[in-house]
Amino acid sequence: MTRSMKGLVKALAFGLAAACSVAAVSGASAEELSLKGKRIGVSAIGTDHYWDLMAFRGIQDRVKELGGEVIALDAGRKDQQQIAQLQTLIAQKPDAIIEQLGNLEVLNPWLQKIRDAGIPLFTVDTATPHAINNTTSNNYNIGAEIALQMVADMGGKGNVLVFNGFYSVPVCKIRYDQLKYVLTSFPDVKIIEPELRDVIPNTVQSAYSNVTDMLTKSPEKGSIGAVWACWDVPQIGATQAVEAAGRNEVKTYGIDGSPEVIKMVMDPKSSAGAVAAQQPYEIGKTSVDNAAEYLAGQKVPPFTFVPSVLINKENAAEKGKPFLDAAEKAGVQ
Amino acid sequence: MSATVLHTEVGVSDEKQTAAKSAGRRFGALVVRLGAIAAFAAIMAYFVIFAPGFTSTFNLINVVEQSAILGVLAYGMTAVIIGGGSDVTEGGIDLSIAANMGLCAAVYATLLSMGYGDFLSVLAAIAVGMAVGALNALAVVGLGILPLLATLAVLNVAAGMELTLTQNTVVGASSPLLGVLVSGSFLGVSALAWALIVFSAIMIVLVHGTSFGLRLYAVGGHPEAARAAGISVPFYVSFTYVLSGLCAAVAAILTVSRLSASTPGSGELLLSVLAAALLGTVFSRRFVPTMGGTLLSVLFIGLLANGFQLLNVSSYWVNGVQGALILLVVAITSFARGSEGSR
Repeated sequence: MTRSMKGLVKALAFGLAAACSVAAVSGASAEELSLKGKRIGVSAIGTDHYWDLMAFRGIQDRVKELGGEVIALDAGRKDQQQIAQLQTLIAQKPDAIIEQLGNLEVLNPWLQKIRDAGIPLFTVDTATPHAINNTTSNNYNIGAEIALQMVADMGGKGNVLVFNGFYSVPVCKIRYDQLKYVLTSFPDVKIIEPELRDVIPNTVQSAYSNVTDMLTKSPEKGSIGAVWACWDVPQIGATQAVEAAGRNEVKTYGIDGSPEVIKMVMDPKSSAGAVAAQQPYEIGKTSVDNAAEYLAGQKVPPFTFVPSVLINKENAAEKGKPFLDAAEKAGVQ
Repeated sequence: MSATVLHTEVGVSDEKQTAAKSAGRRFGALVVRLGAIAAFAAIMAYFVIFAPGFTSTFNLINVVEQSAILGVLAYGMTAVIIGGGSDVTEGGIDLSIAANMGLCAAVYATLLSMGYGDFLSVLAAIAVGMAVGALNALAVVGLGILPLLATLAVLNVAAGMELTLTQNTVVGASSPLLGVLVSGSFLGVSALAWALIVFSAIMIVLVHGTSFGLRLYAVGGHPEAARAAGISVPFYVSFTYVLSGLCAAVAAILTVSRLSASTPGSGELLLSVLAAALLGTVFSRRFVPTMGGTLLSVLFIGLLANGFQLLNVSSYWVNGVQGALILLVVAITSFARGSEGSR
């Protein structure tokens, strides 16, 4: 049962990845793109996380590559600052704005104002009705894949510790909802209530102490089977906590593919079970291509998926390496 | 302890030299102060000339709007520093103000999302803000704890309560009042900008236009003299902390309107609030905090971020410049303090 399940997951993953890469190729094969004489505003909620930094860089590099001018704004993880930056950006009237992540509830009224001002809006990893195109990973797929991997590793039963601090961030909502949906088919896998809250900053330390506390609270082996988080920084703290407590039966699962976490999954002794690795730099670049196509009068789809790869204990050595190489090339450890 | 003794001995042994030194210091302070103001002016002039769209009415109103929340908080901080004295280590300071704002915003947004109306939710937010202020007052005035430590402890209490209430999540909120604050405007000026203008007027009149304000300065500057003149020092100091709590609550309502929600991380504003209140002293001849000075420095901080963005200079520079200016101001205040003798 478990093995056939895994096989099914793998087949699905490969199929989807193949489909996505075909789509990506056909999207990029458009005629010579150019942003000459164009100003592109870029607003990111923060760049303290590997994913955010790489996507932010990808956007800026691509705008410059295409000959455009970039107004790059990093809000340093402060909502107030991001709103102030967007407000000033609207007054600057750039040719397009690319917005990357943040709290949708806070952003939506301001994204609306961008459209009201007649500025084309593109988003990275942020599903909103106000954007012309959202470039992201297929988070529905990622959410299901990582959940199925977790269920398979748990043998279809056990208790899961879930970090759910960022349900207001659209991609986290999708991944969490997919986890819940997958679990409807596996009633023996239960989420431990109350759920944990991941935080920014001090994500790793806080996850470490949260998981340590929960392990202390449930001291008998097997009482907790897995730890899940919608991104992989809490996974770092969780993995360290599990290993420090000597509870190697607990495996951890996360999403993004920070180099540190990929290395953990590659380490056979580590408790990191799997991570869904995305290509943030490519995602950033692709969003710029979409903006350039739109400004050149071409039609742009409402969303573009850049392929991601599920890295687990079995395939880590082979699948993990390209991601580590990309990180090294970018100079990020 | 031994350092204090040594300092006093030196002060007693050669008073003349100290007097000469103090004149020199006063001169030095003047130079640094004028230098700081010149730096402010130079930066602004540069923006006016080189930053595209900087002087447009639309942009300037944007900056006033962006400064509203920081401004209201900085007034609270300024009041506390005026009433408690501007000694950086022993004087008045309210480190809990930003966290208090976070708590009030959480209370306001949570009550709204539970279906309570604006009236009750606003009232509750103000009550919570003032209660946190009263807790500060109790710790500082009642228990005699150093304000730096007392308000640091209360900061943690407020931050903890906010986390308990919101579980560190974003709490969305909408209400008629928020609607007016978000989209209302009068004479072409948005509601949020009006909020800062009106609040500024009230604070400036209260502190600089009434005998109450005069007594507040007396309490902060010379508590013994104020006591001898029959002013109730504990009352005035307590009042500033409660006022600071009220400012936190007002800023909280403005924040919820601007972000359409209460969000975690309000505590981050503390540094900017302190910067605004400290930078404001540069605009006063005696290096004391004033409401007008605070308003100018709040607008300066807002214009700095705005001008850099218009010039397409990395926003990371804003923090650096802000930090350099704080250093400059702290240098001035220590110059000025040196000239006042041993205290």
